[in-house]
Amino acid sequence: MRAVRLLVWASGGALCAGMVLALRAVDQPELVKHRTLIGYTLLFVGLTIGVIVWDRRPDNRIGILLTAWPLVSILPDARWIFWNHALPVTLGFATIELFAPVFVHLILAYPTGRLTTRLDRLFVGFAYTFAGAYGLLFLLFFDPLSADEPNSDTCFIVGCAKPITHVATFNVHRIRHVFDWLALPLALIFLVLLARKLVRASPGGRRIVLPLSVAAFLVAGQFVAQIVLYGSSGVNTMTHTNWYWITAAAGLLVPIILGVDLLRRQSGRSAVADLVVELERTPPGFVREALARTLGDPSLELALWLPERESYVDSNGRELELPSSGPDRAVTVLGPPGSPIAALLHDPVLLERRGLLEAAGAAARLAVENERLQAELRAQLAELRASRTRIVQAGDEERRRLERNLHDGAQQRLLSLGLALQLARAELGAEANGASDLLNEAEDELRAALDELRELARGIHPAILTDQGLPAALRSLAERSSVPVNIVAVPDERLGESIEAAAYFIVSESLANCAKYAHASAVHVSITRRNGNAVIDIADNGAGGANPTCGSGLRGLSDRIQTLDGTFLLESPAGGGTHIHAEIPCAS
Amino acid sequence: MRVVIADDSVLLREGVSRLLADEHLDVVAKVASAEELLECVEAEAPDVAIIDIRMPPTHTDEGLVAAETIRRSSPRVGVLVLSQYTDTEYALRLLEGGEERCGYLLKDRVLDAGQLADAVRRVGDGGVVVDPELVARLVGRSRTSSPLDELTPKEHEVLELMAEGLTDRGIGERMYVTPKTVETHIRHIFSKLRLPETAADNKRVHAVLTYLRS
Repeated sequence: MRAVRLLVWASGGALCAGMVLALRAVDQPELVKHRTLIGYTLLFVGLTIGVIVWDRRPDNRIGILLTAWPLVSILPDARWIFWNHALPVTLGFATIELFAPVFVHLILAYPTGRLTTRLDRLFVGFAYTFAGAYGLLFLLFFDPLSADEPNSDTCFIVGCAKPITHVATFNVHRIRHVFDWLALPLALIFLVLLARKLVRASPGGRRIVLPLSVAAFLVAGQFVAQIVLYGSSGVNTMTHTNWYWITAAAGLLVPIILGVDLLRRQSGRSAVADLVVELERTPPGFVREALARTLGDPSLELALWLPERESYVDSNGRELELPSSGPDRAVTVLGPPGSPIAALLHDPVLLERRGLLEAAGAAARLAVENERLQAELRAQLAELRASRTRIVQAGDEERRRLERNLHDGAQQRLLSLGLALQLARAELGAEANGASDLLNEAEDELRAALDELRELARGIHPAILTDQGLPAALRSLAERSSVPVNIVAVPDERLGESIEAAAYFIVSESLANCAKYAHASAVHVSITRRNGNAVIDIADNGAGGANPTCGSGLRGLSDRIQTLDGTFLLESPAGGGTHIHAEIPCAS
Repeated sequence: MRVVIADDSVLLREGVSRLLADEHLDVVAKVASAEELLECVEAEAPDVAIIDIRMPPTHTDEGLVAAETIRRSSPRVGVLVLSQYTDTEYALRLLEGGEERCGYLLKDRVLDAGQLADAVRRVGDGGVVVDPELVARLVGRSRTSSPLDELTPKEHEVLELMAEGLTDRGIGERMYVTPKTVETHIRHIFSKLRLPETAADNKRVHAVLTYLRS
């Protein structure tokens, strides 16, 4: 294949040189000679860049298109060099105007080399057909010897050979302008398609497509302007007016931009070198950002493979399903085949820079490995939190069950026992004597047991909280407190079992502590809902100096609140009273 | 006086029934659930229904809910709720349905047949009964500063008995004073606590309990 490319390049070059030499021999104004020399040099530069791109990226059609574009611009000129040979003249007419559809194809297929939308394919197909029909017109009907033909198309060499495909003589130049004017709407459609391509591109894709699109706008724009202003885009306007410079500049921009792009692909290696340095300084959790910057794709996502779980997770440890590669999203797996380390979810346009992608992936491997350990840790942490919440909930459930069992089991049995004692006493009647004292004693013990049992059940779980809600349960706590309690606020609506239980136990524990240690004369309790949180405040005017680290009561409460993702704060300066503040997120 | 008993424990049902029979009360039916109770009240039209607060299916406040239903549908039937809970919330809930023919006693009171029978009779006669333990806790409750401090010891005692649901005569009997004296005490209490004096007899219980709890 390399030989073919070399041959194409050499024959294109020879054609350019031949053209320049042939022009020197012909009587032409110096200006035109100059400008055509510059024009062919530019075409040769374009051809050279095209062949290089083709050579570097044989898998991508862009190389072929970029080679074909200058080539089909030069080929028609064969009819001027070999003007008296029918074959080159036929070849020249066959490829006449073919440069336009090739250009359109090149721009719309950039950078993947494929036309992505149906509309693009339709339009490019039509452009080829249109240029082909135009060439066919000359091939079949053009007769250079016909007196009616002005020499505009054969302006340099008069009386060339007839195309071998000639079937009838027809004044081709009469309808040539019709084709020019038909080309105008086609150019406009092309501009619209180009704009559409830009708008639809992903941010990363747009960055790549934009420079070439600007050049293409310029090329198509000057073509439109020429037709509108001069009624023709022919050689004369090109070589004789200042439009020449615009045409030349626009025509040169395209290969230059593609060349720069090629260079940039190579300089991707230096970007990878920068990445290696940057990753040194990147804290865990930010590897994704560093990779996104290096690869120029802000939408890049990093999926880390956890072998124990056999699944991908994001950097927060949340499980992640890899999407299948498609037109919107592509997946590149990093690491040796069969044992992935991570996967990059990125803009498909990056597949065009697979080398850079893989190099960046390899460079980031250590950092990714580190990130993976972090993610694993986070995943375990999340699991731990979930299990802690489950334990607390199971504990609450168990407390409720215990409370029910105490009331409906043990307490009922003790009461039945008491009733039996009473009946026994009635049976004994007047004969009781000493037994009566014993019975009294037993009954007193029984009452004490019932009292203790009731308080025990209450401490395990207050039925009133489940039945009547927080306000009633708090009032009940206040009634029992030995320190006067002022309930400032409490929401009437239910807050959910675990939040209510946490709030209740905080207040209950705080009141107990206050009674035991604080020597306070008043406690204020307030529970409000603020910004989606249940906010709990308990403040006394006692001695302060409470230590949250000692005593399992407060410690346990703080733990309980943390399982609900809440915060717990204790302020207790010596002599300044104790203030407990807790916030628990609550839904709705 | 005709009585029905609702309790899901058969031992308690039978035991209480025998105790009340010994106290010359006529137990006409014993049921195990709130549903059966409502049907039974409809059929038997008893003077008093003794209801355990915890009954199937959830064992929380089914008994209290049934009592509230009976008070609405059969106002002539007195309801005496026996409860394991020492929370005044439940007692007040019952009183909110009207301050006559109702009572809230701790379940432990079944161990004193006399006291229980007395409560049944008072409820059957249209009175109100509130468990002394609840009242004692409310009265003895710590407060920052309270007009309660201004009450004399005698007035304190009257207030407690009033909260338990005793009538002027009942209070007089308990304290060995004339109803006239009780009336005077009550007038003083009401003015010291700034309660509306119009609240007569049973209507006072709710007012007093609410005051004590606040």
